[in-house]
Amino acid sequence: MTSYLDATVPSRSEHLWRYTPWSRIHPGKVDSIPEVDVAVIKSKDIQLSTVPFEPLPTTDIARIFLNEVIQETTVVSCDEKEGHIHIHAGGHAVAAHLHFSCSTNSSIVVHLHGEPDWFGLALTGDTNSNARLSVGIINELSSDSVLVRVDDWDVHRDARFELATLSMGGIRNKSDIRSTLAGTNASLKQFIAVHGHGARHDDHHIEIHHKQPHTTSHLMLNAACDDRSHSIGTGALTIDDIAQHTDAGQVFRNLLLSPTSRAEAIPELEVQANEVSAAHGAASAPINQEQMHYLMSRGLSNEEATSMIVEGFLVDSFSGLHSEHVRDTMQTRLTVHLECQLIG
Amino acid sequence: MTQDAQDAVGDYKYGFHDPESATIRFDKGLSEQVVRDISKLKEEPEWMTELRVKAYHHFMQREMPTWGNCDSLAGIDFENVTYFLRSSDKTENDWEDVPDDIKRTFDRLGIPEAEQKWLGGVTAQYESEAVYHSIREDLEEQGVLFLDMDSGLKEHPEIVKKYFGSVIPHTDNKFSALNTAVWSGGSFIYVPKGVHVEMPVQAYFRINAKNMGQFERTLIIADEGSSIHYVEGCTAPTYSTDSLHSAVVELIAMEGAKIRYSTVQNWSANVYNLVTKRGVAYKNATVEWVDGNIGSKLTMKYPAVLLKGEGAHAEVISVAYAGEGQHQDAGAKVHHLAPNTTSSILSKSISKNGGRSSYRGMLQVTPKASGCRSKVVCDALMLDEDSRSDTYPTMEIGNPTADLEHEASVSKVSGDQLFYLMSRGHSEEEAMGMIVNGFFEPFTRELPMEYAVELNRLLELEMEGSIG
Repeated sequence: MTSYLDATVPSRSEHLWRYTPWSRIHPGKVDSIPEVDVAVIKSKDIQLSTVPFEPLPTTDIARIFLNEVIQETTVVSCDEKEGHIHIHAGGHAVAAHLHFSCSTNSSIVVHLHGEPDWFGLALTGDTNSNARLSVGIINELSSDSVLVRVDDWDVHRDARFELATLSMGGIRNKSDIRSTLAGTNASLKQFIAVHGHGARHDDHHIEIHHKQPHTTSHLMLNAACDDRSHSIGTGALTIDDIAQHTDAGQVFRNLLLSPTSRAEAIPELEVQANEVSAAHGAASAPINQEQMHYLMSRGLSNEEATSMIVEGFLVDSFSGLHSEHVRDTMQTRLTVHLECQLIG
Repeated sequence: MTQDAQDAVGDYKYGFHDPESATIRFDKGLSEQVVRDISKLKEEPEWMTELRVKAYHHFMQREMPTWGNCDSLAGIDFENVTYFLRSSDKTENDWEDVPDDIKRTFDRLGIPEAEQKWLGGVTAQYESEAVYHSIREDLEEQGVLFLDMDSGLKEHPEIVKKYFGSVIPHTDNKFSALNTAVWSGGSFIYVPKGVHVEMPVQAYFRINAKNMGQFERTLIIADEGSSIHYVEGCTAPTYSTDSLHSAVVELIAMEGAKIRYSTVQNWSANVYNLVTKRGVAYKNATVEWVDGNIGSKLTMKYPAVLLKGEGAHAEVISVAYAGEGQHQDAGAKVHHLAPNTTSSILSKSISKNGGRSSYRGMLQVTPKASGCRSKVVCDALMLDEDSRSDTYPTMEIGNPTADLEHEASVSKVSGDQLFYLMSRGHSEEEAMGMIVNGFFEPFTRELPMEYAVELNRLLELEMEGSIG
């Protein structure tokens, strides 16, 4: 296994670290490994068990670092279940690894709470043949926490996997979410909603790899950026030469709400098969003034009208989720968060 | 061309070569002395010599790009390139005075015929320097300067000194440094205030010698309220060893001016085509790149526009065809630096027989650039299962009022379209050729008629035998 202290710190010329250098999200001095605690993971309705930690693939510096600091793996029992998992993180630095293995039909929402300075989260999972798995991740960390998240998901033959992310907590977030469509007729839907406020810096890198024929993937990232926030969405969609009859789509949409907010969208495609439909789109625009006028002419204040448009824009991110449990939870948490923001 | 030669070059109709007849040929390899010798030979002012030397040292220190096709780039042997080769002692103004062997080449390429019919001026560059140059009298009378770059430096050093490297400094990238160090030939154009050059001016670039490096440098300045359309074409013989083409093109469109720069790049499949092209558009000015890449082994070219003045507009239409052993890494970059600027990028690519086409783009809106609008569309067609198509777009938005759209799609030729055409009596090959020509139509309709016809013919030639 590659040791972190032997690994080279990536430069900003590397695509993955262009907008969020590793030094900005490392917990301390970049050439050191600080003491990292274990996060508290609880659930009332999902069975959890702990096993010794299996190292993550050493493809990048974040995974190499997490391999050094994660102590155990929490295995999530995905057995015809709907439920919630709460991860509470506190102190200087904490880390956790959740592994999902689903052979039936499960819908699980993971809530990230607490006030850690730094939180390292690894998520891995297998959606096995013919299984249906929906996972929602809600980042509600305190406003000065740093989150480093790495995901490695495999979707097997005839399986359906949905992954939704609601990112609204913390000051700095770097998420590297990688999924492999490893079996024929596998399907992936991925939805991400980002609410940028204050000085939040939110960087999502999403890799989707079609390795087998007749696979489908759909990715939507909606980011609404206010104040001095900065949202980055980079997508890397790869279709192997044997993955014929693939249907893949990526959409990145940004809504900029203040003169000092920023957004970056980089949806990349690498296609080596010809019998495919692969498309991506990216758009960035201010709030539509006609919509504002409509709402304000009905008595809403400027702030209320803006909040309502932002809510509609972000809530829409999850409307394609098949799992009602995950969809309702994500949309409710988002609505509550935006109302709290409006009240101040 | 003999039948043997025809067999050797295959379908690439410009793959013939004429015997080399260099009057001056430098030894292969690059050193500070080579750079100084080129400058001395051209009797350049000292500032240019020093700039070349500075650029040479930057080139030596600068690392190769770590993106794009690194494997192919690693195959360039800079020590096996001839950096300067003079084929003719002077640039002729009368076609009849051009040396016979060179004239024969350009006759085959149809240059004099095109000039008589529809061009405002023409430069023909053979190896390192221009061998023929002419401009219509009426344009000359209006004060339009259209010279090869070497003459431009000699006759108008004050303009060249002011603008040379102002858009693309030698420190921009490794290949712009190389070009600045060893540049030779290219075009220098100045269009005075309010003058509209109605007919396109053309430059034709030909590499004839083996392992040749062609490093032309083009500078076009359109003064306030003027307009010009510049067309360039390029071919080279088919050799088993590689040649290098690394040009730098700088465009400057002053307030209200318009520059359109059209390229039909048809290098043979042994040429590395690593080109830096960038334009600056000031208030209400327009810069348009119409860029077609059919040939070369590896092309890395991303025409760029800096929209520096309010109301400026950029337009890039880029098409690429990647056949066997080819990688077309093309794209566009637009930087919105001023308010109310607009841009449009249309990229179309076709990959066939294991070819790889990539779109690499950058769309940047800076915080000061309010009210910008931009649309980017990338379409890719894959004609067989061995080919590859990539899209690497980047959008950086620093102003909330920007309205930007990007869309891309990769697909194969629609079975419905093929069926429709074949049911009307076309063979599958013809039908495929028609669909490909139609796919490139947004590009060809922006070219002068003769170029469009030529491009369609080239594509038909490439498509021949494509249906098994």
